[in-house]
Amino acid sequence: MALRWSRVTPQIALLPSVGVTLVAFLGAIGWTIYMSFTRSRRLPEYEIDWENPFRQFNRLFNDAGWQISLQNLIVLALGSGLAIVVGFILAAMIERERRGEDFFRTVFLYPLAVSLIVTGVAWRWIFNPQYGIEAFLKGLGWEGASFNWLSDPSTAMYAIIIAAIWQSSGFYMALMLAGLKGINTEIWSAARIDGVSLWRVYLEIIIPMMKFTFLTCAILLSLGVIKAFDIVLAMTNGGPGQSTWVPAYYTINAMSAKGNLGLASAAAVLMLLITLAVFLPLVALTAWQQRQAGKGDAA
Amino acid sequence: MTDATVMYPRKPKRIKGRSIAIIVFLTMAAMFFCVPLYVLIVTSFKEMDQIREGAMFSLPTTWTLEAWHFAWFEACSGLSCSGLKTGFWNSVVILIPSLIASIALSMVTGYALALWDVKWAGPFLFILFLCAFVPFQIIMYPLIRLTVTMGIYGSITAIAFVHTVLAMPVLTLIFRNFYKDIPPELIKAAIMDSGSFWRIFVEIILPMSGNILIVVLILQITSIWNDYLIGVTFGGLGTKPMTVHLANMVTVSTGTVSYNVNMAAALLTAIPPLVIYFVLGKFFVQGIAAGAIKG
Repeated sequence: MALRWSRVTPQIALLPSVGVTLVAFLGAIGWTIYMSFTRSRRLPEYEIDWENPFRQFNRLFNDAGWQISLQNLIVLALGSGLAIVVGFILAAMIERERRGEDFFRTVFLYPLAVSLIVTGVAWRWIFNPQYGIEAFLKGLGWEGASFNWLSDPSTAMYAIIIAAIWQSSGFYMALMLAGLKGINTEIWSAARIDGVSLWRVYLEIIIPMMKFTFLTCAILLSLGVIKAFDIVLAMTNGGPGQSTWVPAYYTINAMSAKGNLGLASAAAVLMLLITLAVFLPLVALTAWQQRQAGKGDAA
Repeated sequence: MTDATVMYPRKPKRIKGRSIAIIVFLTMAAMFFCVPLYVLIVTSFKEMDQIREGAMFSLPTTWTLEAWHFAWFEACSGLSCSGLKTGFWNSVVILIPSLIASIALSMVTGYALALWDVKWAGPFLFILFLCAFVPFQIIMYPLIRLTVTMGIYGSITAIAFVHTVLAMPVLTLIFRNFYKDIPPELIKAAIMDSGSFWRIFVEIILPMSGNILIVVLILQITSIWNDYLIGVTFGGLGTKPMTVHLANMVTVSTGTVSYNVNMAAALLTAIPPLVIYFVLGKFFVQGIAAGAIKG
């Protein structure tokens, strides 16, 4: 009796999640991939375009908006990569100086609890040329102050990057802090007795020891950047012109504003491919870490 | 450490100087992190006349709640001018079923995968791990079609449904990782004791889940409350969450922009997750760490 139950009931209990996985994830992904080879416009057309199956992808790569999106993706990834550096510096300092740890951690992490739409409102206000930081600095006597970044296509992306760094540094700080605490404190005593300077301990011992934490952070950051949509919408809504488009924004725009399902599907498929390219190292890393079970997984 | 101090009696002084330097640096960094919140707060209490003077960091000369009142009761979002309170209550109504459905589904799934003998658990977990990272855009349109077919598109149910679907992989992995450390002897004994799948879940597993439940709850409350994309895509005219109302309020503004109202509206949207964050910060840290690395 007990045996029969123990085999059947768990499988029944798993049915909803299996259903969700098959329909809403795997099925939906398959459907979108299929759509990217059709000539669908506003509504789906289920006939694959055999004459030119890559029509949508060709259109995509000939579209200036998509090229800008890809460039911005790289700029955003490199720029907001600074958040990892900031996160590490903050974590290292907090870990060195235990006093006030809770306070500082709370302050550095609070932006993560706030909606990106709110983040956008706050930073747009700071970059406001009439009343924001520019006006403030001019008021102090710096007449050349120019922080009207959001209305200039060549600087708008940097404003987004600053907001992104502000928003996510605390997250990387938390991960780094967990990593730093896993390091044996004896290293410090040993290094101190040997008279090794603090800088060298960090550069030559601590950072190499934390390479997996750094790699994890880098992969998470890349995955986050690919998904970045809210922050672009809230800061610039893609503007000025198309200067701050990113793939996630392009895809939604192709779907809703342009009403071109085929093109949007092709863009979404490329987003998935980029994700996979970033993601496969993470899978390899996880497998590698599990093999090295000696250390144990912090998370 | 103490050994080192004994060996080098002069060390403590140097460490002290460094401590001060570190604390000064951290304090400055903390101030930078607080700037956006600070300007939001002071601006929301100012009158427009003072805002036009352009000193963004100065305190309000006269503190007024007018902007807050206006943002909550009267501000326009799109065509309706009933203030942010509509969006607030929509968000509350979205939050509750989304929380219950997403946590219940993932909890049971995680429990079954962690503690019961399911042959295909390994491959399934791997697929869930992959699904956790899929960009929303690639499943967005099919989900729209799906909710239309189900007849729920544009309703609170649709938003809650999509939140449940999207959170399922991550939350399942979190619960599964938590439950897998329960000794299997405990479950075997319970089965011998003629405990069924559900009885064991209710009598043994649920009472053990307090800690992880709080972590997941906070993770979900903040992510559902702060969501914009799902709300704007799957919500109908009267069911859009607060973030969508806020975004409409600050972008579609005719005539002169009332910055103080915008700031008050942004703060009103940010207050619920911030309160949770400041009260239950420790769990929040665990939540984001668990949500980030599901290894």
